[in-house]
Amino acid sequence: MSSAVQMHSTPTGMIKKHHVAIILLHWFNAITWLLELTTGAALIQSEHFRFAPLWFVTMITEVFGSRANLLRFHIAAGLTWITVFAVYGIFGWQTYFHQEVLEREVALDRDDFNWLRIRLLRILGRSNEPLPPQGIYNAGQKMFAVMVYIMFPIIMVTGLIMAFHWGSMTVVGWAVVIHFATVAVVVSGLMVHVYMGAVFPEEKPAFFSMITGMVPEEFAYKHHHKWWKEVKMLEELHAAGQPEPRPAPAPSRLLTALRMKEYWPGYWAGLGLGLTLLATFLIVGQGLGASGGFTRYLAFILSLVAPGYASAHPYWSNYVQPGQPVLMDFLVFELIGVALGGLLSGWLAGRLKWTTDKGPRISPKTRWMLAFLGGAISGVGARMARGCTSGLALSGGSVLSAGAFVFMLAVFAAGFVGAFFLRRIWL
Amino acid sequence: MARYAMVTDLTRCVGCQACTAACNAEWDVPPGQARTRVLPTGAVGKFPHLRSAFYVAQCNHCDDAPCLSPCPSGATFRAENGIVKIDRNLCIGCGFCVQACPYEARYLNPATKKVDKCDFCSARLERGRQPACVTTCTGHAKYFGDLEDPGSDVYRLVYSGGAQRIESDDVKVGPNVYYAGRRGEPELVAQMFPPRQPQLPSSGQWWSKVVKPLALAMVGATFAGQAIAFFTQLRKGEGQFDE
Ligand code: HEM
Repeated sequence: MSSAVQMHSTPTGMIKKHHVAIILLHWFNAITWLLELTTGAALIQSEHFRFAPLWFVTMITEVFGSRANLLRFHIAAGLTWITVFAVYGIFGWQTYFHQEVLEREVALDRDDFNWLRIRLLRILGRSNEPLPPQGIYNAGQKMFAVMVYIMFPIIMVTGLIMAFHWGSMTVVGWAVVIHFATVAVVVSGLMVHVYMGAVFPEEKPAFFSMITGMVPEEFAYKHHHKWWKEVKMLEELHAAGQPEPRPAPAPSRLLTALRMKEYWPGYWAGLGLGLTLLATFLIVGQGLGASGGFTRYLAFILSLVAPGYASAHPYWSNYVQPGQPVLMDFLVFELIGVALGGLLSGWLAGRLKWTTDKGPRISPKTRWMLAFLGGAISGVGARMARGCTSGLALSGGSVLSAGAFVFMLAVFAAGFVGAFFLRRIWL
Repeated sequence: MARYAMVTDLTRCVGCQACTAACNAEWDVPPGQARTRVLPTGAVGKFPHLRSAFYVAQCNHCDDAPCLSPCPSGATFRAENGIVKIDRNLCIGCGFCVQACPYEARYLNPATKKVDKCDFCSARLERGRQPACVTTCTGHAKYFGDLEDPGSDVYRLVYSGGAQRIESDDVKVGPNVYYAGRRGEPELVAQMFPPRQPQLPSSGQWWSKVVKPLALAMVGATFAGQAIAFFTQLRKGEGQFDE
């Protein structure tokens, strides 16, 4: 290290390490693991196999209302996890898997093996050789990544075997055991990974790089010297107007789509919405909706303020029953996802700002009042129609419910008439 | 709280299998499987002292049911009335319970890929009706009722009628299906169809004996290693962080 310092003055400034798509994937994965480990541990109840304390199993089961709900959640979250990785795998194969994973994350070179050897000897107090320079990930990180990329597919396949009962009893029986064993391997790796990532002070810049995407150049210089040199060389070549030795990888289609500044073309979005609807039918067994979710939130507030009234009321008692968690409903979570997803896509496209969308003739205050009024009217209307545009028209229509089509016609007819009278608000 | 039990009078059983048919129809049992079976012992003994009987086998809802503990997800459970049931929402079809049952009363339903067995017709009990095999039995050989009700047939047969459990010397798990018979049929059945030792399949044995301890050791060791590293770091102080 000291010899390198003589060659260059200590650098300052930041360089880019992680793509935003990778950052999102990483934290999505981390959150999913947290949820899956918690629910998975609580699912193993047999006295032969259980390892979590009984109070934990009981507590988690109670949070979910029943063991069946717990299992459903575990499976739904697992399927989401698999889907996200599949989407990344398919759309990001070129950029992500080839460039990111195979070349930089898992391929160990001679420096890496030396690094591991010296690191181990140093921990044992048997050596004080300097550590060989490292690429964008050090050898320890690479070993963790190799392990993760071997274990993940096994976990996914065994999970699918259990969830969909693929194969004979012997196959399912072994799938349970292998699922458990592979998760255990990942967890013991995670002990080190999370410690290095979140606690180990020297790696603090790496932690922030998983949030902002950037690392201080000084940190890269000291901890990932080979990568730092590569980045600098590219920069210098670039500055000298020479072609880069390796063409910059074309951004994957997924990333291009995600980062598009414009709104998506309506047909794409329609296709996406249709697939989302199909996926929710497949995974949670019901369609999309909106007003039903808001009803749940209201029912929840009501059950806090006036539980007796709510559970006796002919309408609210549909939602508020003693011993049944009011918020344990797909739509409740879906609405949170809708808000987060909207925020995310706005952010990715650089469209986030505080604004009131309104016509030129009215003031923001009027617009807010009208929006609230309109929302209230359509909210009450949706409950009277037993569904809103998304619940009744979209989900109902997709299963060819006659009511959905009548409702849809009524919505458009009323919309045409109403728009004529209210045109001044917008034009 | 009820303690349900069934008594089959083997002297009255004619081996017609109406119980099997009724049960299959009631519960959509797939072909080749049965929740209750009628197994003939065949002629036993030496002419002219031959004996024979029919064994009417089904889930015994045992007091120490060996199928309960191997179920990883808790899908097999005992309801408050003592009936051993399967929560099909939780069953993943691993079959650990199928091998555990000493009476071979469980099977994997190929249509649902989940395990099924007799549940004393719980759905009928809830509607105040007797199990399908009892109402259909042509020889009136089957009795179903509550052992805590001194007025019930099963109480009389079990506590004063000599009805007995099918057990062997090494498998005594407290079955709640009893067998009566005036000519020694229950003994014959116990001799010809002794319950087998509960087993855990090799995957389950590996899990509980090898994989689980190894996993705990591995996770524990890395955790301990990290803890040591953490405290060493703390002791060394923040000196070298910005290095
Ligand atoms: C609270 C939990 C976690 C924290 C604080 C954390 C932190 C980090 C950080 C800071 C990095 C960037 C390292 C660098 O750029 O030098 C990283 C990378 C990575 N993380 Fe995590 N992580 C967490 C959970 C997970 C989980 C659950 C997994 C997978 C099971 C995972 C897999 C990875 C992989 C494969 C990489 C890239 C290569 C590597 O560093 O080995 N992380 N993590």
